[in-house]
Amino acid sequence: MDEAKQKMTAKEFSKQLTKKYYEGAKHAHEEGKFIAYTTAVSPAELFYAHDVIPIYPENHSVMMITHRMTAELSESIERKGYTSHLCAYARSDLGFRELHKSPIGGIPEPDFLLACNAQCFTLTKWFEVLSRRYNAPLFVFDTPQFIRDKRAREEIIKYVMEQIYEMIESLENLTGKKFDFDRLKEVVEYSRQASILYKAYLDMAAYKPSPISIFDALINMAITVYLRGTPEAVEFYKLLIDETMENKVKKGIGVIPNEKYRLYWENLPIWFKFRDHFNLLASYGAVILTSLYVHAWSYDFDPSDPVRTLAENYASVFSNVELEERAEMALDLFRRYSLNGNLMFLNRSCKAVSFAIHELRDIITKKTGVPALVFESDMGDPRFYSESQIRTRIEAYLETLDQLSFERERGLVA
Amino acid sequence: MKKEEILKTLHDISADPFPYLRSKRESGLKIIGSPLADVPSEMIYAAGLLPVTILGTNKPIVKAGAHLPDNACSLSRSNLELVLNYHPDDFDGFVFPQVCDTTQHLSDIWKMTISSEFFTSFLIPRQVDRKSARHWFYAETSRLRENLERYTGSPITDEALRESFRLFNEGRRLLREIYQIKREAPGVISDRQLFDLIRSFCYMDPKDHIPLLQELIDVLPKEPSDDGNVKVVLSGIVVEPAQLFDILDELKVSIVGDDLTVGSRMIAYDVPDREDVIEALTERHFAKSPFSPIRDVGTRLYDFLLQVVEETHADGVIYFHIKFCESQDYDLPDMKRIMRERKIPMIVLDTEYQSVTKAQTKTRLEAFVESLYGERDNG
Repeated sequence: MDEAKQKMTAKEFSKQLTKKYYEGAKHAHEEGKFIAYTTAVSPAELFYAHDVIPIYPENHSVMMITHRMTAELSESIERKGYTSHLCAYARSDLGFRELHKSPIGGIPEPDFLLACNAQCFTLTKWFEVLSRRYNAPLFVFDTPQFIRDKRAREEIIKYVMEQIYEMIESLENLTGKKFDFDRLKEVVEYSRQASILYKAYLDMAAYKPSPISIFDALINMAITVYLRGTPEAVEFYKLLIDETMENKVKKGIGVIPNEKYRLYWENLPIWFKFRDHFNLLASYGAVILTSLYVHAWSYDFDPSDPVRTLAENYASVFSNVELEERAEMALDLFRRYSLNGNLMFLNRSCKAVSFAIHELRDIITKKTGVPALVFESDMGDPRFYSESQIRTRIEAYLETLDQLSFERERGLVA
Repeated sequence: MKKEEILKTLHDISADPFPYLRSKRESGLKIIGSPLADVPSEMIYAAGLLPVTILGTNKPIVKAGAHLPDNACSLSRSNLELVLNYHPDDFDGFVFPQVCDTTQHLSDIWKMTISSEFFTSFLIPRQVDRKSARHWFYAETSRLRENLERYTGSPITDEALRESFRLFNEGRRLLREIYQIKREAPGVISDRQLFDLIRSFCYMDPKDHIPLLQELIDVLPKEPSDDGNVKVVLSGIVVEPAQLFDILDELKVSIVGDDLTVGSRMIAYDVPDREDVIEALTERHFAKSPFSPIRDVGTRLYDFLLQVVEETHADGVIYFHIKFCESQDYDLPDMKRIMRERKIPMIVLDTEYQSVTKAQTKTRLEAFVESLYGERDNG
């Protein structure tokens, strides 16, 4: 690390990396490089190992959402026949292509698209639309539900590994260049390090008081989403952890004063509201610490067998396992982070993650005894967000927790 | 039996298969239900079980709502309702296919809310254009075979599978023959009756179904004759409620083709004769026409429909959209554009299992059909 970088804060470093990444993407075509659209959970290592620049339309959509552009963008495509029931990422993106509005001046057009359905199936359909629009090949990276059957899992991994080889062949056809497996090992090694550090960062939420909230996790997640596989991502998480350790943990400073309720959040965030939610909750001594969503990038890679490790990690993400196993993953977070509250967001935009929410609530509530609040809204479209209603329900929920802890303190309930 | 008698028998079963299924069950057969799509019924049948495709219910939603988000598609909602509320004791087990987010997660809900002797998922490859998909389908079909064998306690022999292929192929062949008769002489059986026959194929033991279809063919007139109706191709996944077919009949529309999952896609593709029986099922799967949730090659989803329209010389297309089906939602804007560019008249109907599709749908269809007549008679 040079002198200048050492003085940089993690936040500044993240900004610089993001800027560099999008600048690089913008000039990729001029430099004879290829652009691949890919999904947030996908073997992006293959792109980095082959000097193809991965671009994440989902990530760009988050920027449009946080800049409150989604309603306008969505309306522009609703006029073209798309319904407002679709994923807000997809609607923002398709709207961007209609209106050419973006907080970062847009993203370049794709030469290739990869849709990994471990995350969801919506991405496939959204990318199909883009594939037709740009006449660019779409590779569906198919990950059957990672069911709990040992033999089935072996077969699934075999299938996914075979697709990695197919994907490599597609990349070779795209670029006319031979794929370099040694380079893949290097890239996976960087991904391994970044993932371990990212997970260590998320796990700092286990401290009491917690030095980070889920909002910190969400902001700092971006780098591992689009730069895992690069040495810069590793550097960034080292810096972030050191900084949090020095500034918060060592001094015993929590992310909120008087931390009383340590909450789990189910689903993706309501991106355009998270600052408000943080403040509302903090006024009750409550803070959301984690979610399975942010843990979707806590991978455990083994670079010695890069193809297998990519298959294993991407097929087994929380959104692609059976509900009982997903509940266990959440319960593990409840235990490790000593969580005592549960906000479950039914996200209209994300059927994949929301569909079985009622059953998931039943399991988690039964196992933890922690009451849960299930409420419906949309992660990106303010037209489906009812401020007063959600606020009232969150407040009522926190009052329930207050009442419960009052009764517990007096031994009135178990 | 007379034509009307056979048609009435099959209509009754397609409208409510449960009296028939109960009688089969009383005779000792176990009933294995599967929602759409692409579970190889032949395999279940070869295990000595009766495969039944679960096609939802049009009765009110009472219990399913509490388990699903409001924007769950109408098909998933009505499937869950059918079994959870109306027929909790009419199935012995389930083979649950996963083709989209909804079916994947409904599979989890199903396991937790419905008790049965047997449950297995069937993880269909959601792409068809690469050889890995074939390898996966083969592996998954083998897993289905093993799971069924474990359930029944006896092996599924290749002989039993071949016999099952023969029977299902025969049922499909007869349905295709009837479809072709209708194409050439649309007045011979109504739209509703044609689809009652296809639907009953989803419910019946082929040994019961085949003789009825054969008898029907024997009594149907075979001479081509034009009824003067406008000709349409139906597109989508399912047409629900089935009363929509009655409306088409009323409006003097004749169906000459379709790309429906509960339609031609179900009856057009036979299991070929191969040394390796699993390979035979695999080959059949990949011969099938496109299905919205499964990624097909390039723009085949649209090209196939265009091809059906061209081959049948249809006057227009009626597209049935299942309420809240995301997959269809993503397809539709481009599909409308392509149809406009090709100057093929198309109407899109938003359908819901529980809505007694009367007034508005009928009015829209009426206007569309009138325009088809206008175009045909003036063009």
